[in-house]
Amino acid sequence: MSTMNTSAVSGIDGHGDSLWLKAARKFKRDRVGMWALFGVFIYAVIALGVVFGFWGGAWADVTGPKWAPVSAEYWFGTNIIGQDIFARALYSTRTAFEVGLLVAIGATALGAVFGAVAGFFSGTWIDEIIIWVMGVLDSVPFILLVAAIAYSLGGSPWAMHIAMIATFWIGTARLVRGEVIKLKTLEYVEAAHAIGLGKVKIIFRHILPNTFHILLVQATISFVAAIKSEVILSFLGLGVKDGMSWGLMISESTFEVLAGFFNNFIAASVLMFGLVMAFNMFSDALQDALDPRSVK
Amino acid sequence: MVRAVATCQTWVSLALLLVPLVACSPGENAVAKAVPGQKAFRYSLDSAPTSLDPVRASTLYANQIVVNLYDTLYAYKYLQRPYELKPLLAEAMPDISADGLVYTIRLKQGVHFIDDIAFPDGRGREVIADDFVYSLQRHFDPATRPGGTWLWQGRIEGLDDWKKTGSDYAQPVSGLRALDRYTVQIKLTKPYPQLVDTLAQGFSGIVPHEAVEHYGREFSVNPVGSGPFHLVSYDTTKAVLLPNPAFRQEPVDLVFEGYNSDTQGQYGIDIIEGRSPPFLDRLEIAFIKEGSARWSSFTKDNEIQYAGLPNEQVNRVLASTVPVILKPEYAERYHMRSALEAGFVFSAFNMDFPEFGYNENPVREQRNHALRCAIIKGFDWRSRNDSWYSNLGVIFPGVIPPAVPEYDTTLSAASVSYDPEGARTLLAANNWNAENLPVLVYGTTPGPTSRLFYEQFRAWMKRIGYPPENIQLKTYATFGDIAKAWRNSELPLISKGWGLDYPDAENTLQLFYGPNGSPGSNDGNYNNPEYDDMFRQASVMQPSPERTALYRHMNRLIINDCAAITGLSRRGIALWHKNVIALPDRNFVGGRFLKYVDIVQPES
Amino acid sequence: MEILQYSLRKLIAGIPLVLGVTLISFLLIVYFGPDKTYDLLGKNPTAEEIAEVRSQLGYDRPFVPRYLEYLHEVITFDFGNSESTDEKVSTILSRTIPVSIALALPGFILGNVLGVMFALLAAYFRGRWIDKFIMGFAAIGMSISFLIAIIGFQILLSSSDGLDLFPVRGWDTSTPLQYLRYVTVPTLATVFIALGYNTRFYRAVIVEEMTRDHVRTAKAFGTPPARLFYRNILKNSMIPIVTRIVFSIPFIVISGSLLLESYFGIPGIGKVTYDAIITGDQPVLKAVVALTAILFVVAQLLTDICYRAVDPRVSLK
Repeated sequence: MSTMNTSAVSGIDGHGDSLWLKAARKFKRDRVGMWALFGVFIYAVIALGVVFGFWGGAWADVTGPKWAPVSAEYWFGTNIIGQDIFARALYSTRTAFEVGLLVAIGATALGAVFGAVAGFFSGTWIDEIIIWVMGVLDSVPFILLVAAIAYSLGGSPWAMHIAMIATFWIGTARLVRGEVIKLKTLEYVEAAHAIGLGKVKIIFRHILPNTFHILLVQATISFVAAIKSEVILSFLGLGVKDGMSWGLMISESTFEVLAGFFNNFIAASVLMFGLVMAFNMFSDALQDALDPRSVK
Repeated sequence: MVRAVATCQTWVSLALLLVPLVACSPGENAVAKAVPGQKAFRYSLDSAPTSLDPVRASTLYANQIVVNLYDTLYAYKYLQRPYELKPLLAEAMPDISADGLVYTIRLKQGVHFIDDIAFPDGRGREVIADDFVYSLQRHFDPATRPGGTWLWQGRIEGLDDWKKTGSDYAQPVSGLRALDRYTVQIKLTKPYPQLVDTLAQGFSGIVPHEAVEHYGREFSVNPVGSGPFHLVSYDTTKAVLLPNPAFRQEPVDLVFEGYNSDTQGQYGIDIIEGRSPPFLDRLEIAFIKEGSARWSSFTKDNEIQYAGLPNEQVNRVLASTVPVILKPEYAERYHMRSALEAGFVFSAFNMDFPEFGYNENPVREQRNHALRCAIIKGFDWRSRNDSWYSNLGVIFPGVIPPAVPEYDTTLSAASVSYDPEGARTLLAANNWNAENLPVLVYGTTPGPTSRLFYEQFRAWMKRIGYPPENIQLKTYATFGDIAKAWRNSELPLISKGWGLDYPDAENTLQLFYGPNGSPGSNDGNYNNPEYDDMFRQASVMQPSPERTALYRHMNRLIINDCAAITGLSRRGIALWHKNVIALPDRNFVGGRFLKYVDIVQPES
Repeated sequence: MEILQYSLRKLIAGIPLVLGVTLISFLLIVYFGPDKTYDLLGKNPTAEEIAEVRSQLGYDRPFVPRYLEYLHEVITFDFGNSESTDEKVSTILSRTIPVSIALALPGFILGNVLGVMFALLAAYFRGRWIDKFIMGFAAIGMSISFLIAIIGFQILLSSSDGLDLFPVRGWDTSTPLQYLRYVTVPTLATVFIALGYNTRFYRAVIVEEMTRDHVRTAKAFGTPPARLFYRNILKNSMIPIVTRIVFSIPFIVISGSLLLESYFGIPGIGKVTYDAIITGDQPVLKAVVALTAILFVVAQLLTDICYRAVDPRVSLK
């Protein structure tokens, strides 16, 4: 048995949150990871500020001239119809979190449930069906899936989220399935069977919590993937429907950069780059901290 | 074990390496390669055509290519402005009977289709009157999925019945006959003054039935015509055309074509006088959708030689917009032509929506009229022109654009003047307020531009007191989908651009003719009996001051009824390299100018 | 012989996957895809003309016979003609797929080879500045959108505003030199983005192998680093690496790259697929979907055989 399994089991039998405590300690020592977390926190504050209406509320108003340069009034200038790019960039932060969080939570939850069920029933027809569904969804071209979901929901603002969740959960499910297959042969699960606990209870109370470290890392990866996919999907017209996003700003800017007007492009790219970069590093640090084998 | 890995790797890499061998085999045949010293013109279009079959040449892009592959009976003169018709495959302008119902047209003799395996001996057969009859009949054969039926529907005697009885080409049509090998006779059900214009459309390109039968559906990518060029390769990124070696010798007569040395002298076109087109050895047409890629390609010396000036480059390239003048460094390298489009952009209210248009309740209908007029007042055409057309467009009232001869310069500009104050007053006077203003669904296709159009509209409406949450965006995935919503009368506001098919205001006035309502082209379902009477009256009249007066009266009815937010004609600025001798056109001459393109100092 | 039998069994076992993919995709296309009718109609259509086009497109027929017909098309591999261009689907595919492969191959190979090399380097110097430097670059590559990379590289290397070294658009594979001229910039953009993901993935795989007990033991016994790397680490990392590579093949062959193709004017299958999706060109879509599914089954088989070649303990059963 590898160390990972033993430590995961220790979570159950009361030896406390040793894995989590150790991970937290390790994470705190990781300077890059801490800075990345701080970066993500700043973005989260910006996003919350938009939600509570402190800033970014004027993103839709047309107030300035066309392509105004950077000034005290318009910190990032204005776009082609005279909207404040600063307000739009801030508002887009909220959209990014909305897309990222919804997709990360949705995809991870779905992946956890299906992965755990498939792993628990591995070798039975339930497992076969879930594997088949994953294989099928993996083989349908992504753009076709997104486009079809977008059309079927009749331009609903959630089409993009749903399409991403529908594909992103598969990666998580495969990992969880593998982990659960390992876990279910352990003594405590056998013991749970022996005292007559229901299958549902065993899966959700005793097995799934021990895959939490995988889920956490997968969620951060989905978060980043969602924000990046949004750019391409918005460029193709399959992305955010109402509201503003960095992807929309970048697709607006594709016809502005040649006019020598880079404000939209830079504002959106830099802000997005910062968040994605911070999240990537945070995700790496988290992975390191949660990996019991990493020697540091 | 190491060996096993190596084998596996070798296998995978071998499989991968085999593929490029296939890829590197010549995709185009040898003729399709450029040869140094040739006169080659690399032209560009914003989008790829889907079909090159004349019956389906519905888009501007398809039309540009189709008119170079096929002959039509008539065409517009290369240089004459305003546009004027001339015979192309016809020997002369038609003989028209006194009642205006019977047209007799003689074809040129000795014109042949290009050589093609579709013909029994591989040699192109002579083009005869029967080919024209056949080509027009195809628009009434559902199997061809025609796009031009509406041009002749209900106009030609017996043609609609011919379709009803199964589109059997063996059956004659009384109103569309070949009197002999070279004479065509068309009998109309009522006078149709625009008939000759329709015979100058890509839709009426003349095709040989042998090729249609031989290629079946793939005729669309295997064109066989008698035009100045023939196609050698065609995919989603470009088409390559070579000159038709057997094209008839017809020396250019510049005076006849309408050459004006004062306005057109700078292009050097006079060098083609007396010579027989086509002058090119090779014509490449690149389809480039991305504006940035098109401009980058154009400004290099060895890629595309023609591009429209994108809106975002205007400040960089132009020294002044009124009049349009290039900056010296660009004027040195490129020829430039600026022309107003024969068309316009506008938004029609859908009068079938009781919230905005006709209503059973006369009081509400009155209030709806005020609401529409207020929205029109709140629409800031000058800002739209500034943001999207660099102030190059022309804003005009009504639906008769400046490009047609019937354009009315005496109209008041009130309907295109931005007046948010007046709009608010009007709304208040008619009991409209933030609580009771109806939800307006704004339909668009995806893309940053159409989205910003919406945001701009919503911001203007906010200024006249329309709550932003009541201006709702509905995105349609494709043009086909939004067209479906228009056809099925599902949107309260129809925003579109209309390009005229021929230089006659009838072509835009029919957009508001009651019987053309959904699913027809009157998407706004405007239905005014007075208007419809006048339209019917004018539709059988030859161009005349009386007809113009009727047109203008109809135009005023649309304005007074506040039936549409209209309009703006965009100005297109075309740039092409100095060694290309041409006068490109995006309107009625369209792709036909390519026949006259010449190259000085061919590339080494 | 054993392998042949095994392959055959595996391919038959792949049939449910092909059925599933075609069924789901066809459901999506038929019920939720765009309506092609109004794309094909003229400017002033009558209700009768609309009905004619709908029936030609088969929209008025029930789903089940249409799906059965699709399966028949998959078996005979004849998907008819595109509804947009009327060209034969087989002609379109055989023209565009080689182009897409030729476009993607250099970037694919470079991205993976360089990825493995950088990953080895980073893993070998784990925790040192070389590792941090490489992983920092990987993180940057991963954080930049592909779209931005394409626009950036095109302006920088090809346009007359930039270095003007390569053509902006076009495609020509008649000579190796021409091929190189056209493929370089798209390849750079691809590698720039792919390298980040690949390096990170391969580094994780290699680090995992490095921390295994037998490697540590070998190291403790003083096995020379080169030998250690080749025999103990690289070899065992081959399974996940090969899996990743083989499974990306179907996407290269079929999906192409829409963005690369439209920005660089390359007549590959990416644009064809995208156009087919957004215009509802069902014959083309049906062919693309079926082909992807079949390639997936083949890819699965390939990886299984590779597993077995790498590690004979994996039995072919």
